[in-house]
Amino acid sequence: MKPFTYLTPHTLDEAVSLYESHEGRAAYIAGGTDVLIKIKEEKIEPDYLISLAHIPVSEGVRFNEDTRALHISAFTTHRTLELSPLIRRDYPILHDAVKNIGSVQIRNTATIGGNLANAVPSADGAIPLITMDAVAHIYGTKGERTVDLIHFFLGPGQTVLEKGEILTEIVVPPAPARTGSAYIKFGRRKAMELPLLGVGMLLSLDADMTTCVKVRIGLGVAAPTPIRAYNAERFLKGREVTDATLAEAGQIAADEARVRDSIRGVAWYRRELVGVLVKRMGALCRKRITDEKSIS
Amino acid sequence: MNNLSVVGQRIPKLDAAEKATGRSRYIQDVTLPGMLYGKILYSKYAHARIVRIDTSRARKLEGVRAVLTGTDIPEIRMGVYKDNPPLKSGKVRSYRDEVAAVAAVDLKTAEEAIRLIEVTYEALPAVFDPETAMKKEAPLVHEAHKTNVLKMPWKLHYGDVEAARSEAAHIVEDRFSATWVTHCCLGTSGCIADFDHDNHLTVYSNTQIPSLAQKDFLGTLKALGLKDRRARVIKPCIGGGFGSKLDTYAYEHVAILLAFHARKPVKIQFDRKEEFIATSTRQPAIMNIVQGCDENGRLLFRDIRMILDNGAYTSWGATTPSVMMLPISSLYRVPNVRYEALCVYTNNTYAQAMRGYGNPQATFAIESAMDALAAKAGIDPVEFRRINANHGDEVTPQGFRITTCGLAGCIDKVAEALGGGKRKKGEGVGYASLVHVGGGARVYKSDGCGTLMKMNDYGQLDLFTGATDMGQGADTVIAQIVAEELGLHIEDIHVIHSDTDICPWDVGAHASRTTFVAGNSALGAARQLRSQIVKIASRVLDVDPQDIRLNDRMVISRQDPEKKIELGKLLRKSHFSPGGNMLMAEYFYDPDNENLGRDFKGNLSMTYTFGTHGARVRVDEETGKVEILRYVAAHDVGRAINPLLLEGQVYGGVMMGIGYALTEQVQLEKGEIMNPNFRDYKILTAKDTVPIAAPFLETTDAEGPYGAKGIGEPGCVPTAPAIANAIYDAVGVRIKDLPITPERVLAALKKKGGDDTCGIDPLTEKVYDCTS
Ligand SMILES: Cc1cc2nc3c(=O)[nH]c(=O)nc-3n(C[C@H](O)[C@H](O)[C@H](O)COP(=O)(O)OP(=O)(O)OC[C@H]3O[C@@H](n4cnc5c(N)ncnc54)[C@H](O)[C@@H]3O)c2cc1C
Repeated sequence: MKPFTYLTPHTLDEAVSLYESHEGRAAYIAGGTDVLIKIKEEKIEPDYLISLAHIPVSEGVRFNEDTRALHISAFTTHRTLELSPLIRRDYPILHDAVKNIGSVQIRNTATIGGNLANAVPSADGAIPLITMDAVAHIYGTKGERTVDLIHFFLGPGQTVLEKGEILTEIVVPPAPARTGSAYIKFGRRKAMELPLLGVGMLLSLDADMTTCVKVRIGLGVAAPTPIRAYNAERFLKGREVTDATLAEAGQIAADEARVRDSIRGVAWYRRELVGVLVKRMGALCRKRITDEKSIS
Repeated sequence: MNNLSVVGQRIPKLDAAEKATGRSRYIQDVTLPGMLYGKILYSKYAHARIVRIDTSRARKLEGVRAVLTGTDIPEIRMGVYKDNPPLKSGKVRSYRDEVAAVAAVDLKTAEEAIRLIEVTYEALPAVFDPETAMKKEAPLVHEAHKTNVLKMPWKLHYGDVEAARSEAAHIVEDRFSATWVTHCCLGTSGCIADFDHDNHLTVYSNTQIPSLAQKDFLGTLKALGLKDRRARVIKPCIGGGFGSKLDTYAYEHVAILLAFHARKPVKIQFDRKEEFIATSTRQPAIMNIVQGCDENGRLLFRDIRMILDNGAYTSWGATTPSVMMLPISSLYRVPNVRYEALCVYTNNTYAQAMRGYGNPQATFAIESAMDALAAKAGIDPVEFRRINANHGDEVTPQGFRITTCGLAGCIDKVAEALGGGKRKKGEGVGYASLVHVGGGARVYKSDGCGTLMKMNDYGQLDLFTGATDMGQGADTVIAQIVAEELGLHIEDIHVIHSDTDICPWDVGAHASRTTFVAGNSALGAARQLRSQIVKIASRVLDVDPQDIRLNDRMVISRQDPEKKIELGKLLRKSHFSPGGNMLMAEYFYDPDNENLGRDFKGNLSMTYTFGTHGARVRVDEETGKVEILRYVAAHDVGRAINPLLLEGQVYGGVMMGIGYALTEQVQLEKGEIMNPNFRDYKILTAKDTVPIAAPFLETTDAEGPYGAKGIGEPGCVPTAPAIANAIYDAVGVRIKDLPITPERVLAALKKKGGDDTCGIDPLTEKVYDCTS
């Protein structure tokens, strides 16, 4: 492992300008759970690590009562998200995902921003957020800009982030009434596990409690980036949500997934899983809507 | 024997607090003054000719103190088959082949030097599948050996299998396979080699075989022309063994060679990746089994043929058939047995001993086939096992003398715990039993262990044992046995096991033998000490020696409990008087067991451990995922010296077995390990633990210390077949290849003619024919 200098800027501007002055030789570090492994494995060899942990931005989640949007600071740890009652109650899909990332020790330090910026197809944090139509807020030398998270990922390890840009916040827009959401990480063991497949789903029902008015299906490890199963979404929207239509949506999603063989799993099996898990997540969304209704 | 005060107690491991608070010193924590750091360069090919090695740039690097290649070292050959030099020359035969080594002032420099060594290879055709390697046209891994098939004739035939086959009412025939898995010791391997001015050698190493390692290191000294020098082996605290440290490895010999050349101590410390790549695996096996019974379900014969992928070199993996023979000939009563195993060189990694030593592989085939045979005979699988269970006082076809045997009781215990209850769809229950050596195993010329003892003036005992505690708690169990015998408290006993200059000989921490053999050895020494104490006490207290009892640090008359003296006081009296003496004792215990003969017959162990495992599983029929709802592992342990540690052995064994059954695999692609890390090697985590019950039966074996049998390995022996049988019970597919991944289960469910799921490889989707 090559030694590096650790820099601790205290503002976003300072961070960005440090990056600029060490251009090509610097990397940002948040929790470090991805970046340090890459350094140890000598996949990257930066001379400077610029820490984002000392910038006094609000770590954590905030609900904007006016816009009804959820604001998540990019520097929020998975553990903070996991323990947030707000996330647990109103964004169960995100709770499902973050509570199973790595281990408690990992979740105590790893951040949601790092998870997104690292941009692996298996990122557990990414799938729920694209499924909820989240928007990424980005800060750089040219100021701030926003990108729909679904367009944030370009390929394995590649994002729309320009050199030196920092992901600052993720904003989740409000969902319609009667919405349920759920995520499942399918792996071989119960902790310290990357998903063999990740499936997130968000489902909104009409007042009749059967017709689908909105649906999002997010898939992890089904393509080089996190993706949405648009064909399956189109199929389900406006249709009655039944076991049969969910199963069919699963099949459609399986067909559009661009799964491949790797040492972690084979394509045919991943495709099978897409079908089964989309169906199951749909059913879980529906159940969560019903449970919610029966509580209120 | 039931008013025991220390034996039978749930005493936490004596070094638990030291470990939990980070005080224990592992090899990682040991440094010597002036120590250099060694690093090894491994092959870039599975099979290649070494055309040229240019070390000039590495030699010139500042801080480098020694650089060695295969041509710089004397002839040293490791392993049972003596086919493995610590640094290779001429050609490489696997990715883990050691090509060169350096020693430098720090690790960074050593790593840099390794990068500067330029090796020119000429790739050779390689072979990765043992069945292909047996073919005539296959490339030879060792040309001088002339064939890839090892000359190790694992072959036995007792009774008449052909005749029995023609009489059998029901027969099953199948092919099973078990793949590479590895020990995953938390403490990675490492050693320090240090020569003194006179070229006497000290090696600090993680080893389970201090005395045999010493012998290997003496061999290396001899090769260096240092014939009359001494070799001392010091074991630091060991973070897990599981068989991985039963042979010496190249890195240990390389450290010695580097230290010899550099004239400084040299440390080689593996990181996790190196641990995966350069230490050994469990022996993989392809297993063909035919088994038959009569109309009443009595086993008539068992006929097994195996092909073992030996990898490129030979370590203990190649000798696992010697232990596979135990379940093959003696798990359940089976009068006619035939077995043949071939070990075949390939360009893969090579295997070593691993907990169970072949028994888990063989038991997977046997117990899966037992279930299939029960189904064919139309007999309930539990009943079928009861019909065929071993009993005490019998001699098996291989000449094993079963003395105590709690198998039937274990079957009952597990069936009772798991049998009842309503079964939901997708749920099933499966059973499998085991037999293992429980009273030592005479695999070497000696199965002995020595103990030395000295007691100070306060009744505190220093006990020097040949045994090795590598985390299993040997020290604690030995201390309990001795404390019981001498009426001491456990904390009065200090067990020292770490140094061949101080401790007596022992063959090694293998074959679940430590409690039994080292325990008996310690007991023998304790008895001598006891008789010395009794002799002194009878004089001092003026009572008959027979009348003396040792308890709670006191020496007491049974008849007249008023006549008593504190042990320390007694010792001081005896020591500090004219012609005084100190209490010391020595004992070497070598059990009266037998080496296997030419026909592989012989009573290998003084007693045998039996057990039955059962699993209740739920199979997700859409994803193929198996969940274990409940696991019961019952063992005949003779006597539980320490139920806490015993349960620990069983829980740990079962979790290891579940990993073997469901998730673990060293993935080799054309000889290269693809998952040398815990992200992709799926060892189970604390969160994956399942509810395990570990009831035990105490048959109080006459030969065991306080009746105990060995229990180190059995926990992982019948786990895989118990789970496989439960899956069959749940959803009607029999998975015959380990690990039983969701892919394999789902593929089998999709094919569900039920039984023809043999050899579906989830990586290639290739389906192997099982009828051959
Ligand atoms: C043992 C272990 C288990 C794991 N398990 C899981 C798992 O189950 N699921 C999962 O999805 N991941 C898992 N991971 C991966 C990792 O923990 C997550 O991806 C984590 O969220 C990364 O966050 P971090 O803050 O540690 O990122 P860092 O390592 O600090 O950064 C990751 C990358 O993002 C960049 N970066 C970080 N923050 C920003 C920002 N705000 N703006 C721009 N760039 C930024 C860094 O430069 C770096 O390139 C695991 C990792 C380990 C070591």
